[in-house]
Parts: sequence; C-alpha cells; structure tokens
Amino acid sequence: MSLKIAIVGCGKIADAHVEEIRKIPSVQLAAVCDLDPIMAEQLASRLAVPRWYSDAGKMLDAEKPDVLHITTPPQSHLALTRQAVAAGCHVYLEKPVAPRHCDAEAIIAAAVASGRKLAVNYWPNFDAPAIELRRLLDTGVLGRPVHLESFLGYDLAGEYGTALKRDPQHWVHRLPGKLFQNVLDHVLNKIVPYLDEDKLLIQAMAYRGDAAGPDTNPDRLLNELRVMVRGSHTSAYATFSSHARPVGHSLRVYGTKNTAHVDFNARTVVLERKQTFPSALGRLFPPFLTAKDYLRQGLTNVNSFSHSRFHYFDGMRRLLNEFYLSIERDSPPPIAYSEILRVSAMMETIFQQVYPEVLV
Amino acid sequence: MKILVTGAGGFLGVHVVERLLAHGYTDIRCLLRDPEKAVRLTKLSESYPEAELEFCYGNLRSKADCARAMTDVSLVFHLAAGLKGSAAEMFADSAVASRNLLETLETREASVVCQTRFVLVSSFGVYGVAALRRGARVDEQTPLETHPELRDIYSHSKLRQEQLFWEHQQKDGFELVVLRPGVIYGPGGGAFSGRVGLQVGPLFFHLGGSNLLPLSFVVNCAEAIVFAGTHSDSAGQAYNVHDDELMTASRYLREYKRRVQPVRSVRLPYFVTKMLARSLETYHHRSQGQLPAIITRYKAASIWGGNRFDNSKLRALGWRQLVSTPDAMAANFAYLRQKERPQ
Repeated sequence: MSLKIAIVGCGKIADAHVEEIRKIPSVQLAAVCDLDPIMAEQLASRLAVPRWYSDAGKMLDAEKPDVLHITTPPQSHLALTRQAVAAGCHVYLEKPVAPRHCDAEAIIAAAVASGRKLAVNYWPNFDAPAIELRRLLDTGVLGRPVHLESFLGYDLAGEYGTALKRDPQHWVHRLPGKLFQNVLDHVLNKIVPYLDEDKLLIQAMAYRGDAAGPDTNPDRLLNELRVMVRGSHTSAYATFSSHARPVGHSLRVYGTKNTAHVDFNARTVVLERKQTFPSALGRLFPPFLTAKDYLRQGLTNVNSFSHSRFHYFDGMRRLLNEFYLSIERDSPPPIAYSEILRVSAMMETIFQQVYPEVLV
Repeated sequence: MKILVTGAGGFLGVHVVERLLAHGYTDIRCLLRDPEKAVRLTKLSESYPEAELEFCYGNLRSKADCARAMTDVSLVFHLAAGLKGSAAEMFADSAVASRNLLETLETREASVVCQTRFVLVSSFGVYGVAALRRGARVDEQTPLETHPELRDIYSHSKLRQEQLFWEHQQKDGFELVVLRPGVIYGPGGGAFSGRVGLQVGPLFFHLGGSNLLPLSFVVNCAEAIVFAGTHSDSAGQAYNVHDDELMTASRYLREYKRRVQPVRSVRLPYFVTKMLARSLETYHHRSQGQLPAIITRYKAASIWGGNRFDNSKLRALGWRQLVSTPDAMAANFAYLRQKERPQ
C-alpha cells in the first residue's frame, strides 16, 4: 500500500518534511499548499512537488491524501486538523501542537473521534541517541530514573532567531509562551515519559539574557528559561538557553544504578558508571571507560555516516516511518496521545508562570 | 515627488540614499526594519541641509506596512531582498515582499498608477548562463534562467521577484526600470564573492581562476541605480550594472592576499571543479542529502563558466563610473584590512 501525502504550510520547516517523506519509498508526496500562493509555488518548484494549492480544502478534495502534514503556525492547527480528519486524513503535526492546552485537547479529541491517527513531530526522540537511551533503560542498565536534566540551546543570531527578531509580526510573538513555546516541546517531551503522575510540582523562571541585544519586538521576548519539576519518585530540570555556548541539545538521566549523558548534537550516549574498584583505583579508571564509550560512539557514527544514516533529521525519517506503518497496520501511533497532552499541559503551566499577563 | 527606498539601511541602500541626495532629491522615505540603521542615514543627511529624510519602520512581509510605506509615493527604489536564512525566508523577503508592495497599487487610481515608477534592483543571478559557451558575453538580451531550482536559493528568489515585477507592470501599467548588478563590493561588504571561490574550513578553494568578475563598486552601483532609475528614457528597460574596468578572480585574490591578509588557497581548474561537482552531486543523491551539494555541475557552469559581461546599454544611457576601479579597490581593501586586522 502506498500512502499519498500532502503538506499544508510552506514555510522553512516544510523543506525538511519534503526531504524526509521522500526517503520513505512506500509513500508519495502529491501536493503542497499554502495560503500564500507564491509560497506554495516556490516550494513546489524548488523541490519538484507535482502540484500546489493555496486552499487546503481544495487540495484535500482534489488530492484525497491519506496523510496531511500540517506545518503551518500553531494558531491554525486545530482548524486544519478538524478539516483534515473530516476529509479522512491522518495527521502529522508540526510542534508546537497548539497555542493553548485546551486546543491540544481538542486536536487529539478530533483525531480520536474520527478514527484517524495523529503524530506530532517529536523527532529527536526517534533519533539514534534516544533509541540507545531507551535500550539502556529497558535493559535496566540505568536502574530507575531518579532525576533528569534536559537542555536545549538556541542561537538568536541564527537562521530562526534572526527571522524572529526582525519580524515583530512573526507568529511566534503571538504565542502565549512566545519563543519558549516554539522550542519547549523538544525539552519537555524527553522528560515527560518518566514523570507519569498527573500532579507535578512545576516551578519555572524566565528572564531576558543580557547578550540578547536590541530587537524590534514590541513585546518582551524572554530568552532564558529554567524549569524545576518534581514528581513522586522522579524530578527533572528543564533548561532553555539562548546564550550558553556551544548551542547544546542534551539529556542527562540519573538512574539508581548508573547515569547516562545523551548528546543529541554529537549523537553520543555515554555512561557514568558506579565505581567498582576500591579507593584510588576507582577514581583512576572512569576517564578511560568514558573515553572508550566515546570511541565506540564515534565509530558507530562513522558507520552510520558510511551507510547514509547520519542526516540531521534522521529521527524524523524514523518517526515518519513508524507513523506510516501504524496507519498501514492499524496499530497504535508511535507517540501516545497522553504523552502529547502532558507535554502540552506542562507547557501551559510554565507559560502561566513566566508570562502571567498573557495567560491567566 | 516623494521617493521610497526599501532596504535603505543596507549595504547598498545607504549609498542609494546618498546618491539620491547628491542628485538633488530631498523628499525621501527610507523603509527600515531595524531602527538602529537610521543612525547612519541621519548622519549622512547632515551634509544635505535641505534633505527631508523620513524613516518608516516596517517589514515588507506585512501588507499593512507596505501600504504605510507607499502612501503618497510616486517613485520607489526597491532594494530590499532576502540575502540569508532558509529558502522559504529568503523567498518571502524577496518575492512575497515585492508582491505585497506591488499589490498596494490596487488601491490607487489608474491614472496615478501610470505615474508611479518602480526601480527594481535585481541581480545578474537571474540570467540563465549555464548553457552558454565559455567566453560568451552576458548582456540584457541573454535569456533569463529557466532552471532557478538548479542554481541557488538567492537566484531562485530574485528571478521570481523580477518576474513578479514584469507581470504586474504588464497588468497595472506603471513604469518599471530593472537594474541587474553583478558583484557589489566595497566598504561594508564581504571579502569574496562566490565567483572567486569558496571557503571550506581553513582552506579557500579558488574556483574563479582567470574568469572576469562583474564587479560593481557600491558607490558606482548606487549611482547607476539612481541615474537609470530617474532617467526619462529608461522606463520598461533592464540594465546590467558593473564597472567598466573588470578584473579576474585570480587577480582579485592576489590583491587581497597582498593588501589585506594571507589566505591559504588552492586553485582548482574549471575541469577539476566540474569533476568535483559531479562527485558531490552523485554523493548527495546516493546519500539522500547527507552532505549538501554545495557545488553542482549546473552551479559550476553558471558561476565559474567564464562569461564576459556587458554594461554598454547602461553606458549608452549616459551612466559613468564615479569612482575609478583602482580607487574603489583601494577603499575596499583598506576596509577589509581594517576589519580583519584592526590596528
């Protein structure tokens, strides 16, 4: 069975969707759509997509895709999801899911009610380091997670940051959580699976880093965020920083047996092991064991590179593959809806604390 | 006559405003995204006491900002364009921004539209030169690019921008003058055009060899834009913009090394560049884009294929190079030297 795919929203992330869809041989990308016709036209002409539209309804009627990728700003996600599932499409949604948690709930409810499947682009969780971390947890190498530290860096002078800073009307500025809301999924979705309580103690603080420099935004664009989360057995820190260098993307899991450090940029998973040798010997060996881990990871990465499996969005390809397979086999989608909603609920709690005047 | 200059705070924009002032135009509205850019323009206007520089802050992606910027304007110098960022961002900053600007004409009376003139700063990148033989002359009759998707994101967005202007000109009947500069250089600009070569890690791959560079010193370029943009005979015409005395890529690199700083460079002959391009393309396809195809055969033929350039149409209109090439180069290298090795 070959799934027919369409994309709505032809901004910068749509390029990545086109490229990753095309790496999956069992599906075909039929069309793209954007409210602005020349944005749809440019994506179709640049990346040789067969057809383009400026009206999502017309595209759904004409193309009858099996899956709709929604890569528009989150303010439109609920309406487009409803439109897509009503047309019989499964939905692959770009993060953030929606501006408000109630919208995220409505999105999931729409998918469930229609019997269509939905996934959110939590691609780093399907990248090789995340898979290796899951293996370490599943095989008991780490023991029970006691504490997690999720870190995401951001370069405000980079491609995405510049676009934000120079356009006061950018849709990110209209999100309740502003800059944080566009990136926090990738920080929180790594810790949520290990914090399974409904009631979590969440304490967030945010501020504007000094080095941010002037920008033309009328609102106060906070760019440093620290979040402390406490469940009954596990706690977590979530950090978002626009100033720390290098621009990192990592997760540290402190287990009852060992600790793992996952670097999503360097694609390494390194264990910090319990000392087994006595006294000074116990302090002598760890650097060599860590070096061995890095060497092993480096060689694994070379192997991945040589097999052309070292793309930046390799996790997205893997997630898409699992999502499409879940549609073909009518099995559960790769990300539990409860997890998506808990990330969304946690984000709303954080934004209520750091932007109280926006979210009450 | 109120003049609007979009991208007025940019590398070229500041000089266009200066040349407009020098030509005696005083009622100029400068569209800026960044209020900080107004500082240099304000300082510039101090030399022209009669000037009335008006600063309009906005983003051309916003139709409301476009409408505000275009109010009471009858001559527009459209310089704003996407120079960096993702493909979609660059396209939006060039093509979508231009479309928004052009659509403001819909609210004007037809008689007013006919008296409105747009001066579009396009690019040499819109020409389809990949299939031209080595040494072919690129003039205004050279066909436009038919495969911009094979070229680069900048050329793709600039070509669509220019097409939009010609399409709207046919439909709405305003006056349109298109300037297509080559490589704009000078104080405030970068050190090397891609036509000279590419920096990869610590090495500079010198790919331009003995090819001529279509260099346009920023002051000369600004003068050409203002001269042609305000000339009574230029409506409906396109003009190549480059200086009269051009130098080769290898000479530019040699001069840079001598007058600015040493560069570790490797010169690749054109046939080696083409072989490298073929290898990179093959790897890019086989690996499904694991490494970007920074050089393709099409790009190589377009950029390093060894064209000659022609500015005779602009000269026939009456434009003359304001700053001689030796003086322009001296200013350029002095700036770059100061930037790279501040005293």
